[in-house]
Amino acid sequence: MGKRSIVLVALVLVALAALAVPGHSQSPVKIGVIEPLSGPVAASGNYVRMGAEIARDWLNAKGGIGGRKIELLIEDNKSDPKEAASAAEKLIVRDQVPAIMGAWGSSMTLAAMPKLQEYGVPMVVETSSAASITKQGNPWIFRISPPSEMEALGLERYVDKLGVKRADFLAVNTDWGRGSISAFGDMLKKKGASVGVAEYMEQSATDMNAQITKIKATGGDTLFLTTAVEQITLVMKQAQEQRLTRKIVTTGGSSSPTQLIKQAGAAAEGSYHIVFFMPWFPEAMPDGKLAKAFVDEWAKRGHPFEGLTEGFRGHDGIATIAEAIRIAGKDDPKAVREALWKVSVMGVNGPIKFEKDGPAGKESGQSKPSIFIVQIRDGKVALPDFLAKK
Amino acid sequence: MAELLQHLLNGLVLGGTYALLGIGLTLIFGLMNVVNFAHGEFYTLGAYVSFAALALAGVDFFAALAAAIAAGAALGWLCEIALLRPLRNESIDTTMLVMIGVWIAMQNAELLGWGGVAKSIPHPFPTAPLVLGPVAIAPLRLFVLVLAAGLIAASWLLIQKTKLGRAMRATFQDRDTAALMGVSIGRIHSATFAFGSGLAAAAGALLGPIFLVYPSMGDLASLKAFSVVILGGLGSLAGATLGGLLLGIAEELGAGYVSSGYRDAVGFVIIILVLLLRPSGLFARQERIA
Amino acid sequence: MTRAGGWLVVVAALTLPLWLRSPYHVHVAIMAGIFAVLAMSLNLLLGYTGQLSLGHAAFFGIGAYTSALLTLKLEWSFWPALAAAVGLAGAAGFLIGRLALKLRGAYFVLVTISFAGVISLVSINGIELTNGPLGLPGVPAPELGPWTLRTKTAYYYLVLAAVALSYLVCRRLVRSRIGRALVALRENEPLAESVGVDATHYLVLAAVVSAALAGLGGSLYAHYTRFVSPEVFLFTYTVTMVIMVVAGGKGTLSGPLVGAVLFTVLPEALRAAASWQWQMLSYGVLLVLLVFFLPRGIVPKLAAAFPGRR
Repeated sequence: MGKRSIVLVALVLVALAALAVPGHSQSPVKIGVIEPLSGPVAASGNYVRMGAEIARDWLNAKGGIGGRKIELLIEDNKSDPKEAASAAEKLIVRDQVPAIMGAWGSSMTLAAMPKLQEYGVPMVVETSSAASITKQGNPWIFRISPPSEMEALGLERYVDKLGVKRADFLAVNTDWGRGSISAFGDMLKKKGASVGVAEYMEQSATDMNAQITKIKATGGDTLFLTTAVEQITLVMKQAQEQRLTRKIVTTGGSSSPTQLIKQAGAAAEGSYHIVFFMPWFPEAMPDGKLAKAFVDEWAKRGHPFEGLTEGFRGHDGIATIAEAIRIAGKDDPKAVREALWKVSVMGVNGPIKFEKDGPAGKESGQSKPSIFIVQIRDGKVALPDFLAKK
Repeated sequence: MAELLQHLLNGLVLGGTYALLGIGLTLIFGLMNVVNFAHGEFYTLGAYVSFAALALAGVDFFAALAAAIAAGAALGWLCEIALLRPLRNESIDTTMLVMIGVWIAMQNAELLGWGGVAKSIPHPFPTAPLVLGPVAIAPLRLFVLVLAAGLIAASWLLIQKTKLGRAMRATFQDRDTAALMGVSIGRIHSATFAFGSGLAAAAGALLGPIFLVYPSMGDLASLKAFSVVILGGLGSLAGATLGGLLLGIAEELGAGYVSSGYRDAVGFVIIILVLLLRPSGLFARQERIA
Repeated sequence: MTRAGGWLVVVAALTLPLWLRSPYHVHVAIMAGIFAVLAMSLNLLLGYTGQLSLGHAAFFGIGAYTSALLTLKLEWSFWPALAAAVGLAGAAGFLIGRLALKLRGAYFVLVTISFAGVISLVSINGIELTNGPLGLPGVPAPELGPWTLRTKTAYYYLVLAAVALSYLVCRRLVRSRIGRALVALRENEPLAESVGVDATHYLVLAAVVSAALAGLGGSLYAHYTRFVSPEVFLFTYTVTMVIMVVAGGKGTLSGPLVGAVLFTVLPEALRAAASWQWQMLSYGVLLVLLVFFLPRGIVPKLAAAFPGRR
């Protein structure tokens, strides 16, 4: 026998051995993911995807779900509601996923919702904040991100400590921005603060000087800012140029304070930020060990640190779905939906457990996520000055 | 009053860059009759090249600007000879469609290459604003305004005083006669497209440090450029310059005094009004394009 | 396209749900049908009058919002809402037609873009009417007598009927004296006017029919996706329609149909074939290649290859 024949025989034996290895003949558990991976918010969508992939790999390392590996089927909704609906249809019908996580933006999520109802497949909403999502009477929706009202409630106890007497608003002209203004406005009025002007900026706008000039003229003491981190950077820089001197509080959790420090520099000094994850002090999170492990894994994969404030949502969404599939014992969408009501799992943000929300008889699930407030001081992210007096 | 002056100043800075975008496009659209939807992508390209030069290679601002212009011009020249010249005899819709394809391809290539996270371009200017009486302006913005004015002036000189400029103007006015007089139309087209794209890239390199750099930044720029072109009249440099400044100021005033939500609408409404009252634009002397 | 070929297509379209394997494919077919109506409407302006309307998404959106608002807030039933959508969009087309009557070429383009821009901003900011960026969820499905057309197959036939109707309307218009006048205007306006063709009159007529059909597409879209938001005014919808018309073959009757089917199926096929990073880039490159090799569009190329009745 020549050397070549030995190699051939060896290859055949290896191939037979590979076929014979047990456990790999089990089909994977497929979970659908719909995020904006291209278009203006591609960065955020990709961060969520990265977080989801970490959750998948961790779970698979521990044996997956009932011995079966998890496979993520990732679709791009291109920041277009029509695409979100098509992606949902494809995942449900062609790929037969038992559950989906998505779709980041509220309009995308709302567009996909009829498909969930049509085919009976549950979706875990990881980012969208529009109140209407859980009030539609769609029993296939389970949200782990806070609607704006919940966020505003989370800030309520700090309003006096912050010293907010007269607030103005500047928000991106989307459902998120508008919802935020309305929710925070109501909360502030209940606390006895007065509300000044509400200005808007288009999603793609880069020049907010006109709005800032108007806000400057109101004489308020606090500016509530709701938009994505890129626009926050621009607003802060332009506010600094116009010498706007008042407290700035960003809402919505997409402010990525680390990125702000890098790009806005001194303009961001002193600003407060409502976030749902504090990667700068993970030990302060409800499950400190899990949070720290997530931060470390994220860094290990070379992902940018500033993406952590959004990436954790992907992890928590997948962890929730995986737990539901485990409880259900099978990847049947209706069983997974019932199991979602029984889920009580610890995510990076904190405990995840769904309560009923919406019209009776067809409630959606809404969890109560933890809400934090941080401040940029001396070029670093820290606990706010009114809290850190120990 | 101070508020009004501040708005005017803001609008002027913005308008200067709109003018750069408009000049490039008015030449392309006017001379070559190409609806260049990819114009905004050259703007984006300029911003990314500037970012690469400043943040990664560490060269100074002027070198980065020069690199951006060169990259825009080179890619524009390439587009013209590879895609537009072979389609020269096709209808305007065909060339428009091919530029739509280029637009989609360029933007997504940038997304793939640079990722969706916005980049910040470092600049050497202090952030504290210069106070000139009742208004304030950041040193960077002042610098950008000066450079934009310089580039606009340079474009003027090129078009009015050089042989190439004369050939371009001749081709615009009467293509057949120009060809008979020995002007190589093909080369003029390449030069025009390269020049226009280079200017767009310059606008991107100038605005990049003021704002942020991300793949979809060119979409709005394209639209603004088209508005400026029509406002000022097709093929008119003076029109594009003044149109750009007007648009910038109108937007600022509209956002400041009418409503910030409807800011972009102001630009649109002005355009509609201008077109209804003076269809060939504010400055063009010729009749409407039949 | 030969006569037999035409009938084959009709039979295939009529029996499509029977031999398509999954509801997902029927979904793609429905979207293709809606866009076919939109592409045909744009073709009337672009292909036959030679005027490029880059604000066409405005008529689509007006149709969608009208239909959605009437059925949601005023609880109209589907068919009158559909008629209202078509009517209102047509009225908008009349407005644009008259406004832009003095303008041609690049200037007309910009008025249409500006119009779409203004309507888009109204839909975002006019919260009391349109619910702004939060959109209008829960748009009801159409009813036909006692039945609700909620199933995919039923909706497919509704859309197919709309496609057939639009095709017939376009064909009637194009082959009539009006159509000939439009073509005359497109080819040589001064000459046409000199023989008594009233440019204004015919252009406005084309604009009205074109906008009305786009409104039809909008209403169908609203009741299928059951959710309308200001994103319907996105420029990318107009761009998609333009791609479909020009790549399919503008100025032909079946060009927009072919374009609509191709450019609805293509992104979905890319979704299956390529991972998300490469989908849009491939789409752009494919578009450039298509235009490069078939500059007049697909149908004219086919017609040249298979001469016969078009």
